[in-house]
Amino acid sequence: MIAKILFVIIVGLACGLAVGAGFVAFITVLSIIPRLMQLTKTMTKILYYEAAVVLGVVSGAWLSLQEPVFSINRYFLLVFGLFYGVFVGMLSAALTEVLNVFPLLAKRIKLQERLLYLLMAMVFGKIFGSLFHWIFFVDM
Amino acid sequence: MENTIYIRLRHRVEVKENERIRLKDVALIIAPENILPTLENLCIYEVTKEDKNTIIIDGMQVIKHITFQTNESEIQLIGPPQTIIEVVYKKSRLSFPIFLIVWFLLFIGSAFTIMNFHEDVSMQLVHQKLFYLLTGIKDSKPLVFQIPYSIGLGLGMILFFNHVFKKRINEEPSPLEVEMFNYQQAIDQYLVMHENKERMKKIHDR
Repeated sequence: MIAKILFVIIVGLACGLAVGAGFVAFITVLSIIPRLMQLTKTMTKILYYEAAVVLGVVSGAWLSLQEPVFSINRYFLLVFGLFYGVFVGMLSAALTEVLNVFPLLAKRIKLQERLLYLLMAMVFGKIFGSLFHWIFFVDM
Repeated sequence: MENTIYIRLRHRVEVKENERIRLKDVALIIAPENILPTLENLCIYEVTKEDKNTIIIDGMQVIKHITFQTNESEIQLIGPPQTIIEVVYKKSRLSFPIFLIVWFLLFIGSAFTIMNFHEDVSMQLVHQKLFYLLTGIKDSKPLVFQIPYSIGLGLGMILFFNHVFKKRINEEPSPLEVEMFNYQQAIDQYLVMHENKERMKKIHDR
């Protein structure tokens, strides 16, 4: 019995380690935290940002596994939703950048001066697609 | 050392077709005053049709020209060992319809990829569950949560690329600009290695 429990603990720990390391690696490759620090000029606070990510992951894991129910006013979720969206937006922007889409496009079709408009096309596309998805698509 | 000529080649120069490239176009020069004007106007290369887009001018070539013209022996080459010359044929501006097509390509493309992503990770379920966990209200369409989420999506992208409709948040280059720079550097490096005949020596050249 004790051996079994120990085994399960070790397996769980190992799984958690792998997933956690993967998450950190993903965030690092996309360099979202350096980007935010560069924007806000808060390079010295890096330890706190790391802690924020770790705490976020741990509490997210706890939320999804334990499923506790809070009763926060629903309009508070406006703020949650906004932060959530900004993060996912940064993720997808970083992903686009890692894939080198824009430098290629700009070079191939000589669009250096209008790059900003193309960027805006993607931004509006994301917003439009997402709104369309939540308001109409899910009902279909 | 009074007669030393210092030459610093520029990294990248744009010229028009059929232009004569003079030394002052491709390099910064420090030289004794009596020979400076002749050096500046020294013709290094003449652009012809066969050159196509890029010409690499090697530092050795430049030194050869200078010694041939002025008989000066002390030449110091500082900085990059070659210049990349880009021949600009008549300003090729992109037509507006093509720009519109690309714009809509990106717009529609990103709209549908974000929908695919949401379906892929069952975002709707996650949102419903999260909404229930936080508020205790069961709602199949938690739009209070999802509309700010959608707007935040766009904000996050702008934040990442550091562009708020042309106004910069701060002066540092955005990752996009850095990425464009890296891309240009890689191309330049390729050109230097492959277009510069002096850099390569193959077996059958001997």
